[in-house]
Amino acid sequence: MASTEPWIMENGNIKGLGKELRHGRTAHNMSSSSLRKKSDLSLVSKVPCGIVRLCLANLLEVILGTKLSVLFPAIPLAVVAECYGFGRPWVFALSLLGLTPLAERVSFLTEQIAYYTGPTVGGLLNATCGNATELIIAILALTQHKIEVVKYSLLGSILSNLLLVLGTSLFCGGLANLTKEQKFDRKQADVNSLLLLLALLCHMLPLMFRYAGKSEAETAKPTLELSRASSIVMLVVYFAYLVFQLWTHRQMFEAKEEEEQGDDVTAEEAPVIGFWGGFAWLVGMTAVIALLSEYVVGTIEDASASWGISVSFISIILLPIVGNAAEHAGAIIFAFKNKLDITLGVALGSATQIAVFVVPLSVIVAWIIGIKMDLDFNLLETGSLALSIIITAFTLQDGTSHYMKGLVLLLCYIVIAACFFVCQKPLNQANLINLGVQKSST
Amino acid sequence: MGSQEHWNLENGVEDSKELGKENSMGRTAQNLSSSLVRKKSDPMLVSKVRFRMVREFLANLQEVILGTKLCILFPAIPLAILAECYSFGRPWIFALSLLGLTPLAERVSFLTEQIAYYTGPTVGGLLNATCGNATELIIAIFALYQRKIHVVKYSLFGSILSNLLLVLGTSLFCGGLANLKKEQRFDKKQSDVNMLLLLLGLLCLLLPLLFRCAVETDILEAASSILLLSRASSIMMLVAYVAYLFFQLKTHRQLFEAQEEVDESDDVLSEEKPVIGFWSAFIWLVGMTIIIALLSEYVVGTIEAASDSWGISVSFISVILLPIVGNAAEHAGSVIFAFKNKLDISLGVALGSAAQISMFVVPLCVVVAWIMGVNMDLDFNLLETGSLAFSIIITAFTLQDGTSHYMKGIVLCLCYTVIAACFFVHKIPLSNIATANLKFQAA
Repeated sequence: MASTEPWIMENGNIKGLGKELRHGRTAHNMSSSSLRKKSDLSLVSKVPCGIVRLCLANLLEVILGTKLSVLFPAIPLAVVAECYGFGRPWVFALSLLGLTPLAERVSFLTEQIAYYTGPTVGGLLNATCGNATELIIAILALTQHKIEVVKYSLLGSILSNLLLVLGTSLFCGGLANLTKEQKFDRKQADVNSLLLLLALLCHMLPLMFRYAGKSEAETAKPTLELSRASSIVMLVVYFAYLVFQLWTHRQMFEAKEEEEQGDDVTAEEAPVIGFWGGFAWLVGMTAVIALLSEYVVGTIEDASASWGISVSFISIILLPIVGNAAEHAGAIIFAFKNKLDITLGVALGSATQIAVFVVPLSVIVAWIIGIKMDLDFNLLETGSLALSIIITAFTLQDGTSHYMKGLVLLLCYIVIAACFFVCQKPLNQANLINLGVQKSST
Repeated sequence: MGSQEHWNLENGVEDSKELGKENSMGRTAQNLSSSLVRKKSDPMLVSKVRFRMVREFLANLQEVILGTKLCILFPAIPLAILAECYSFGRPWIFALSLLGLTPLAERVSFLTEQIAYYTGPTVGGLLNATCGNATELIIAIFALYQRKIHVVKYSLFGSILSNLLLVLGTSLFCGGLANLKKEQRFDKKQSDVNMLLLLLGLLCLLLPLLFRCAVETDILEAASSILLLSRASSIMMLVAYVAYLFFQLKTHRQLFEAQEEVDESDDVLSEEKPVIGFWSAFIWLVGMTIIIALLSEYVVGTIEAASDSWGISVSFISVILLPIVGNAAEHAGSVIFAFKNKLDISLGVALGSAAQISMFVVPLCVVVAWIMGVNMDLDFNLLETGSLAFSIIITAFTLQDGTSHYMKGIVLCLCYTVIAACFFVHKIPLSNIATANLKFQAA
C-alpha cells in the first residue's frame, strides 16, 4: 500500500481516488455489482453455535447475494440430468442457465479478495478473472479437441461485448437521457479500440496468408508458426496494457464517480467475507464452472442437432449472451444513470481482454498440450469481427452518444446473428468447405 | 524573395523573422529530422594546408564526408566495391552495400538542403520533397531495370510500412515514456492531409487487386485491363502529389511549418549559413547519386543470393530489412524529436515520407516501367495490400485525437512485429512468385 500512496499524492486527487483505489476495482466489477442485493442476516443470527452461524452467514452472502440466485437451482439439476442420463439438450440448457449466476459470483469473489491484496494485485486479479468463464469454457473445449467451438465462442464473446452489450447500453441510455447530453471520455475508448485493431491484424494475417498461398500443405505450418508468434505478441501487448491501465495512466481508467450517497449499489465498502473464505469459495466456484463448462462443451452438438440450430449459431450467439448476462445488465443500468464511462469500460474492456488475452492464451495452451490451434478464424467470422471493431471505433470517435448509435450497433449484431443462423454448415464440414473456397480462389 | 515577403504579409504572420529564416531554406520536417545526426566538423585540421584550392577542396570534403555521425559506415562503400571486384561471397556484397547506403541517404538530404539555400524556398522545398526518398527511388528503378518487379513492389511497400508503423511507433513509444508526466499534443490537421493521401494511394492499390479477384475467367484479358488501370491510376496519383506539393509549399504552408521554439542552446538547428557552395554541392550530389546507384545495383543484384545463403525469404529482406536501412537516419531523428516532445516534426517525418512514397515513388515507378516497356502494375498481392490497408487504418485511428501516449507507440510497433513475423514465415520461393506474375502479365 505504501508505494501507491505517493503516486496518489502526486496526482493531487487524494480524497476521491483513495477510496476506490483500495479495492482495485475496475469498471467491470462495478458493473456486475449492480446486480447484487443486500442479504439480511436476521435469519442467521438465530442459529446458536458460533462457527455454524459464521459459516451460514458466509453461505448466505455468497449464494443469495445476487439477484441472479434464482438460477442457482439449475446447477444441481444439470448435474442430476447428467447423472441420470436425461436428454442431452436438457443438460446443455441447464448448464448454460447455471453458468449465468456463477460468472457474476466469481467477479464478486475476486473483488472481495481484492480488498485484502491491495490495489495493484487486486486490479490484476480482477482483470484476469473478469472473463474466467470464457477462459474455462475455451480450455475445456480445447482439451476435447473442439477447436471450432473455442474459436466460435471467443469470437462470439467479442462480438457480443462490442455490439450487443454496447449497443443496448447506448440505446437504453440514449432513450433514458433524451434531453441530457451524454458524454464520455474517449481516450479510454481509443486505447481499447487500438488493442482490438491489433488483435484484428493478428486474425487477418493468417487468413490472408492462407488465401495468398498455394496449397494447404504449404501454408499450414507457417500459419501455425505465425499464429503462435502473434499470440506471444498479443500477450506482450496485454501486459503493457495492464501496466498502462494499473500503473502509469491509472487516472484515465478511473471511473469518475460522483455518486449520490443514496445509491446503495456501490455503497458496500467493507469486505463481507474473509480472505480465506473468499479464496475457498473461488476455488469451489471455479470447479463448478469447470464441471458445467464440460457439460456445455460435451453436449453442444447434441443440442444443435435436436434443436435444429447450427453449432456456430449456438457458440457465437447463445453462449456469449449467457456468459455475459451479468455484465450486460450492469452496463445497461449504468447507461441508464448516464455513466457512460463505466458502461464503455465494461463492454470494451471485456472485449479487449478476450481479444488480446483469452484468445492468445488459448493458442498457447493448445501449443502446450500439443493441439494445432491457429488464429485463422474463417472469412465470415474475421470479416464480421473486422466490421464490428471498425464500426465501434467510429461510433466512439466524438465522445458523445445518442440512442441512434446504440440502435445501429444493435442492428449490426442482429444482422450478424442472422447470418450465422442461416449458415447451417455442419461442424465437421467447415474445414472441407474452407478448402473448397481456397481452391477456387487460387 | 519578394513574393515570399508578400505571402508572409498576406497570412498575417507577424513573426516574419522566425518564419522567414526557416522558409528561406525550404526545410521540411524530414530535413530537420535527418539534420539531427549531423555533427559540427572542425576546420582546424584543414587550415594548415598551404594551397588555397586544395584547402578549400579539403574543407569541402571534410564537411561532406565527416559531417555526419553515420560517417563510420562510409568505409563499407569501398569495401563493397572491392568485394564486388574480387568476387567475394555475394551475401557479403549485399550486406556491405546495405551498410554503405545508410550514410549516403542522410548525405543526399544534407546536400539538397545546401542547394536549397541558393535556390529560394519554393524550388528548395520541391527539391527536398523530391530527393527525400531518393534512395528508395533509385533502388526501385534499378530493380525495375533488372526486371525484378516483385523486389520493387516489396521494397516500396516495406518502406511505407516501416514509416507508418516502425518509425512512428518507436517515436510515439519513446516520446511517451520520456514525457510520461507531460501531455503530448500534436497538430492533427497535418497528419490528416497525409492520411487522406495514403488512403487515396491505398484505393489505387486495392482496385487492381479486387479487379483480379473479381475476374475469374479470362485472366489474359484481365491482365491488360489491370495494366491499363494501373497506369491511369499512377498518372492520377502523380497529379495528386503535385497538388499536395502545391498545398504544402504554397497555399497552406503554415500548416506544415514545424513549430519550433527551439532553445538557443540547441546547437543542432543553429546552422544557418550554407557550408558549401552551390556548384560543389551540385557536383557532390551527382557523385553521391552515382554511388547510390552503384550500391543499389549491387543490392538488387545480390538479394537472391543473400536470401539463399541466409535462409531468409526475399520478401522478408525487401519488406523489412531494406527499408530499415534506408530509413535509419530519419528514424533516429524522428525518435530524437519525439524525446523532446516535438511530435509535429516526428509525425511530419514519418507520415510525410510514407505519403511521398505511396503517391510519388510508386506511380513514378509504374510510369518509368511503362517507358521502359516493362509491364508493372499496381497489383501488390493480397497479403501486402491487406497489411498496408490495415496499417493505414490503424495509424489513422491512432492519430485521431491529437494526443499521444506510449501505449499507442507500443501497439504500432507490435503491429509491425506481427507483420514482420508474417513475412518471415512467408517462404514462398521467388520463382513461384515470378511465374505467378508472368501468368498475369503474359499479355
